[in-house]
Amino acid sequence: MVRHRTAEAPLSIAQPSAADGTYFENFGVGPELLRRILDTALSRGGEDCDLFFQHSAGTVVQLTDRRVNRADTHVDLGMGVRVMVGDQVGYAYSEELTPESLLSAARSAAEIAASTPGRVAEAPTPRSKPNYYNVAQPWSEVDMATRIALVRAWEQDAFGRDSRIARVEAFLQDGAQVVMVVRPDGRLYQDWRPMTAAYMRCTADQNGKRESATYNVAGRAGLEYYDADRQSRLVEEAVSRTTFLIDAGKPPAGEMPVVLAAGPSAILLHEAIGHGMEADFNRKRVSIYAASMGKQVAPSDVTICDDGTLDGARGSLNVDDEGNPTERTVLIEDGVLKSYLHDEMSARHYGVAPTGSGRRQSFRHAPIPRMRSTYMEAGPYDPAEIIASVDKGLYCVSFANGQVNIGGGDFAFYMKQGYLIENGKLTRPVKDVNIIGNGPDALSKMDMVGNDKVMDEGGWTCGKEGQGVPVSQGMPTVRVQSLVVGGVG
Amino acid sequence: MSGESLIGMGERVVALARRLGADEVTARVSRSASTELTQRDGQLEKCQESRSLSVRASLLVDGRFSGHGTSDLRPEALESFLKQAIDATRYLEPDPHRGLPELAQMGITEAELDQVDTSWFDRDPQERRAHVERLEQTVSAHPTRVPLRSATAYVWDGHGEAAMVCSNGFSVQESNTSFGHGAMMTLEDKGGRLPEGYAFYSSRHADTLPAIDDIAAELVGRAEARVGSGPAPSGRYPLLLENRVVGRLLRILLGPMGGTSIYEGRSCLKDRLGTRIASPALSIWDDPLIPRGLGSQVTDNDGLPAIRRPLLEDGVLSRFLVGVYNGRRLGVAPTTASTSNLIIEPGTRSLSDISEGLERAVLVQGFLGGNTNPTTGDFSFGIHGKLLERGEPVASLSEMNVAGNLFGLLERYTEAADDVWLHGSWRTPTLLFDDIQFSGS
Repeated sequence: MVRHRTAEAPLSIAQPSAADGTYFENFGVGPELLRRILDTALSRGGEDCDLFFQHSAGTVVQLTDRRVNRADTHVDLGMGVRVMVGDQVGYAYSEELTPESLLSAARSAAEIAASTPGRVAEAPTPRSKPNYYNVAQPWSEVDMATRIALVRAWEQDAFGRDSRIARVEAFLQDGAQVVMVVRPDGRLYQDWRPMTAAYMRCTADQNGKRESATYNVAGRAGLEYYDADRQSRLVEEAVSRTTFLIDAGKPPAGEMPVVLAAGPSAILLHEAIGHGMEADFNRKRVSIYAASMGKQVAPSDVTICDDGTLDGARGSLNVDDEGNPTERTVLIEDGVLKSYLHDEMSARHYGVAPTGSGRRQSFRHAPIPRMRSTYMEAGPYDPAEIIASVDKGLYCVSFANGQVNIGGGDFAFYMKQGYLIENGKLTRPVKDVNIIGNGPDALSKMDMVGNDKVMDEGGWTCGKEGQGVPVSQGMPTVRVQSLVVGGVG
Repeated sequence: MSGESLIGMGERVVALARRLGADEVTARVSRSASTELTQRDGQLEKCQESRSLSVRASLLVDGRFSGHGTSDLRPEALESFLKQAIDATRYLEPDPHRGLPELAQMGITEAELDQVDTSWFDRDPQERRAHVERLEQTVSAHPTRVPLRSATAYVWDGHGEAAMVCSNGFSVQESNTSFGHGAMMTLEDKGGRLPEGYAFYSSRHADTLPAIDDIAAELVGRAEARVGSGPAPSGRYPLLLENRVVGRLLRILLGPMGGTSIYEGRSCLKDRLGTRIASPALSIWDDPLIPRGLGSQVTDNDGLPAIRRPLLEDGVLSRFLVGVYNGRRLGVAPTTASTSNLIIEPGTRSLSDISEGLERAVLVQGFLGGNTNPTTGDFSFGIHGKLLERGEPVASLSEMNVAGNLFGLLERYTEAADDVWLHGSWRTPTLLFDDIQFSGS
């Protein structure tokens, strides 16, 4: 790949070279002002608080009509302040980093408490943290021509792979943000968070039938993310997922065994189990898993983790949005429920350490417990053996979206691409069906776990209480004895 | 910038971008202020104050198009942002279909939309706290037939303003207020299940929100309706689609009507304009001019005057959702890319009268996951609701799917009830569709 190094790299935030904690001094926010904001936030008796500064920027380059003819850029800047009294939260934010505006937000958030100051903030001191982001070639050094050439090459490749491809749309997205979390106990974390994503949609024609499908990849990485393998896979998956749909039919309706292919099927883990493990729901006693800690909730081959420390994963974070280190949290070990995902508030409620799961969409939102990268560890079975074990069922390959009801435990995930299993063999291709189940019930029915764990490279975004955060997921091939397939006939 | 009028700010952005080399500019400036309170189980849980001001600019530079948004409005930052945006745009390939509409096409429809409730400006923070407390207490105190686990009440209100300023001289500013309240309750069911019921109401004016006592009773009914839920046998049933969730299913019609889908050929409707695609009994109007409507507006997103027009009239597809850009790509006149208030006229019978006439029917009250394929019109969604026999609820349903094809669904529409929902941009009554595929046990 040819790289052009010119001065004309579009909007990007380079990794700060100055010491942690100094980035927002460029905007006039120094240690003295931080102390004043913390003191103001605690001025009415708040027991704790956090300040979350954020400066983010990104670029999208898009192709349609066989031309790279659209670019989009965005910049976001602001600070959110949260004040806590017991389980109560006051929240406000400012998009101007002037002292008046920042202090005004702190006064607003402080209103949740109604007494006199009980706590004096300590001087914020930058803390060190590990690095889980992989950036060899930062986007701040990649010019527009390089971005444009990449996207155009993907399009050419797609048309070359299958003559049925009639249209291609594609985009390349990159962004970075610098966040700074400041706490009254003196903690100060500054974190530079890169992200990139690529997307392709193909439309194919065959004998008057038309179908369209997409593929995307995402990670916390620079230009080097798009090595030859990744680029080839992006195009091949987009093309083959599209042509697959032309011949695919609808699966039958009703309850049946479902085999989940390794990788993207982990959307089931995310919906059926992951959300129910977020400790705010349990602290409020509204999760179906609220009374399950320490109990056997799945067969013994099932071990499920949520991990913020995977190198370069879309869901990884060096530090969470409350200033706590991230970790690999074992949710279910050998079928036994071991831990929820905690932010500081739920950790305090349960008397445990936070798991580094406090996340937020931006400075406009208060943090809540969220997933990072959710995956199931490999089990003992050969994937072929799992498929062969099913007389009549469904094999799910790729997915579009999912949803869960936290209290009832019922969840759904939409399968875009799969196969019928008949007499232990994959037969007819099938598509476009919603699959539904109940979390604890589905978990207890995961009776065969494959030895082929795959992390999905797709760019998933999880939505909760109006906040979207980037997540990743993965799993081996798994058999679920029974789920409801929303097919026809 | 905060003391300046939005139009003034937009004019300044347009002038700056022009000076820096853009040929055409559309600046959109939006400002909002809102407050949201949450009270859970007897205690104020969260109070959030939000204030936002941001600028978006669409640029045409040497025939090349780009879009940019920022909340960093410091003058030097804005100038450098626009300069970088213009530099980046020069690297793109030209797009001959981009650019502003003719000024003569643009305009503002004269209409009194009553979008601002001036009482918002004098609202009292203590009164808002009292409101959320009263709502939560009323809901929690309501008797339930199974134990109550948790109840959370929400109260929110806000004021939003948006201005659009174009380099050809067109400008428009709109503003509105919004008010809302609602609650969610969790009950205790067998097997550790914790069914949730919820109801939320929004409106432009405080005085059109339903009373607290009324929604408490409704909420309890909704939560209780989910106790003991499970799937009914797979099969074909009449579908009663409750008024407030009509948009959740019928919006599968909007994707394939979109100009981009039509142009890119990814639409099951691309050859169906002017043909019958639904039961002749079904008409859907898009009306941006309803006073106090949550989707009301005086211009569309391209600056063309807002017009009331049908999407479907007597079952015939009347219109695609085509903005100026896709209109040029398709060689057709623009018809507005997005929808405003979507209207289905009520029928004469109540939901209970209609359901009493049905041997068995599925009343769908909510959806779970699911999706649609706009190229084929196929859909599959998880549902919850009630199984009705002659109007009597005989089972609470969950873990079920409804599936089919857009055309099959629209063809099977038979009747609208008399209960129009007024708290969303879909203003529709409960609808009856005959013979729809459900999968369950």
